[in-house]
Amino acid sequence: MTELKFVFGDPEVCTGCMVCVNVCSMRYSKVIGPSWSRVRAVRIEPGLDFPLFCRNCEDAPCMAACPNEAISRTSKGVVIVNNKKCTGSGECVKACPYYAIRLHPDTEKAIKCIQCGACVDRCPVNAIWITTENELNEKDADGRLSSLYEKHETELYNKEEI
Amino acid sequence: MKGIGGNNLWIDLTKGEIEKRPVEEEMVNEYLLGAGYLSRVLYDNIPVGIDPLSPKNVLGIATGLLTGSMFPQASRHVVAALSPLTDVWGESHAAGFWGPELKFAGYDAIIFTGASSDPVYLYIQNDTVELLDASDIWGTSVFETDDWIREKHSKRARVLSIGQAGENKVRFAAVMNDRDRASARSGLGAVMGSKGLKAISVRGTGKLEVADPKDYLNQMDIFYERMLANPFTKERAKYGTTNLVELMNHIGRLPSYNMRQGVFEGFEKISGHTITEKHLVKPRSDWSCLQRCGRYTRVKEGPYKYIGGSPEFESQSSLGSRCGNDNLESVLFSHHLANMYGMDTISLGATISWAMEAWDEGLLTSEDTDGIDLAWGNHETVVKLTEMIALREGFGDILAEGSVRAAERIGRGTEKFVMTVKKQEIAGQEPRAQKSMGLAAVTAARGADHLYAFPVLDEAGFDKEIKERFGEQYLPEMADRLNPKYKGIMVKECEDFMVMVESVGLCKYGTQIPPEFYYDDVAQALRIHNGLDLTSEELQTIGERIVNLNRLFNVARGVTRSDDQLPDRLTKEGAPKGPSPGQVVELDQMLDEYYEQRGWNLENGFPTMDTLKRLGLEKEGKAVIK
Repeated sequence: MTELKFVFGDPEVCTGCMVCVNVCSMRYSKVIGPSWSRVRAVRIEPGLDFPLFCRNCEDAPCMAACPNEAISRTSKGVVIVNNKKCTGSGECVKACPYYAIRLHPDTEKAIKCIQCGACVDRCPVNAIWITTENELNEKDADGRLSSLYEKHETELYNKEEI
Repeated sequence: MKGIGGNNLWIDLTKGEIEKRPVEEEMVNEYLLGAGYLSRVLYDNIPVGIDPLSPKNVLGIATGLLTGSMFPQASRHVVAALSPLTDVWGESHAAGFWGPELKFAGYDAIIFTGASSDPVYLYIQNDTVELLDASDIWGTSVFETDDWIREKHSKRARVLSIGQAGENKVRFAAVMNDRDRASARSGLGAVMGSKGLKAISVRGTGKLEVADPKDYLNQMDIFYERMLANPFTKERAKYGTTNLVELMNHIGRLPSYNMRQGVFEGFEKISGHTITEKHLVKPRSDWSCLQRCGRYTRVKEGPYKYIGGSPEFESQSSLGSRCGNDNLESVLFSHHLANMYGMDTISLGATISWAMEAWDEGLLTSEDTDGIDLAWGNHETVVKLTEMIALREGFGDILAEGSVRAAERIGRGTEKFVMTVKKQEIAGQEPRAQKSMGLAAVTAARGADHLYAFPVLDEAGFDKEIKERFGEQYLPEMADRLNPKYKGIMVKECEDFMVMVESVGLCKYGTQIPPEFYYDDVAQALRIHNGLDLTSEELQTIGERIVNLNRLFNVARGVTRSDDQLPDRLTKEGAPKGPSPGQVVELDQMLDEYYEQRGWNLENGFPTMDTLKRLGLEKEGKAVIK
């Protein structure tokens, strides 16, 4: 299952411009508003900007937590939400360790990144890319990225309203 | 209207009353939002003859029509009031995230009247708007205030605040936001301090609906591609504005030793290349910013150790070359302190350099300065005075008044070395090497200023854009920075365009340098974002209306042609060295052309009644021009 794809970002390259956040909310909800985006961007001083996406976990706790079986994985490995089945229970939001699945403020149904790449294409500094766990481990052999994410995990994944 | 918050907040600080008023759409058609909106509201609400630091002053903060949109660099807000530095129109702008956040909370502007007897901060969380006790943070820095508010309310709050300089009413105190973004000029931080207002915390979790959701992303893709393909963007991302030090030194436009000359022998040590190589952590963007001129830098060790957002060309020039200071770490650290205390680095460095020249001329001695050595290039003095000015300690208390008032206090002929227009210190453009900047400095409503017009088209070979925006008949003179010809025409046009840009919340980068987006692009953005159908011509007229209303604001407070003047050094003494030797600013010639172009009276510089009538400002004109 290690070929599961997800979008990942380098907080030392990201400048915090919000283009990814805005592209996402405009593409999927036709509005501008970070709460409507499937991407989050969190600035932590000194000097870090974290673009945050669904990590496409192998065990996908969101899937297991859904009382309505509204969350499933496609044959390509993408975790998706079935809007017809989703009742907005919010169990997936509670279960996700990354605060990467949230309820849409208008529809109150779960939304999450499906690795469409629209933001990756438009990032002006190439701070985000589509990767897999293996690829990322190779790229991050010295642990620079993973240690930055670990160090700030409390603030990054705090589930306060966006 | 689409794409905006929809309401403005009117806060009476004396009574502690908060009122929400819907955005008046008729006013948008005449003034847009942002700078234009404030030009009207403050014109109508600030009485003539008041002390800018009294409760009668009105402080406005406004976002533009496109602030928070996806247009490149749509991050900006504007702060305005009667300036305690110039005693005339005061206005300053900043980028960041605070402006878009205000939109998401549902507001476009905040107008503060009166003054609070106890320190307060304004807390905004969507519909909840409250004035809260700020006694725990009064006396703390911008960074401490930011930390305290975000710890108390929300890590996701965006904070606008003043530091100790604003509280102490330093006449060039800044209003800061998002830690290191500064609405620096005009001393508006002192106005905020005089009102007992420490900060504004904003959390907005709402959305902006746009006028053309179907085509929005496609249109923005086109704007993004153009912005990213422009060769300036790459350069800007690499150096921010820091490498202007080397470029400006090359053309003799880098103010050095106060403003004695436009070249600095130590320029390489404070250059953009040196900063990039030794101190840059990374470039930083504000909301929807593709230019990313923001810098994040550090000094790793020693007395000037810090990490933070900085610097910008203006600070390298004012705290560096202008003070004869080639110690880069001190320049960076002093800039960092100015952010922390909340001060304009331009007036700060220019005021210190005035004192240094007076010292060099023997007119100031250690008896005046509490024993501080003001020799050119004394970097310890630059850093120490930054702190003393913010805290109004000793000699710093005199300098905190700005160079004009400090020279009045000291006397002894030191006023000769004051480099100001309308009591505001001239920014980092030695105008003898770029004549348009000399004209722009005197015509800007807020006193000496390069940004009101930002006439950079003669700076870097923009012949093509001059041809497009003005016509081929103005070449080659208009593109020649040493030729005064056609500069009145250029500055007038640039002012109209720039105040319009500040009214929609865009940045001067991307619109003026590089000159990628022009009126038709802004008109297109207003159509798809706000659903406003304004033509390029209408937008230009709105710009002209705002400039004329700013002028009337100043005329009502006694400004005439005699105030649109540069220091004698720049108009009478030839540049002593560098690539433009012997040059002076031919101000009268340019000013005549400018007034003529504006439809203003050549004798006194007042707008003529015909001009005002055309712009719908006849009533205002009659009340002011007797």
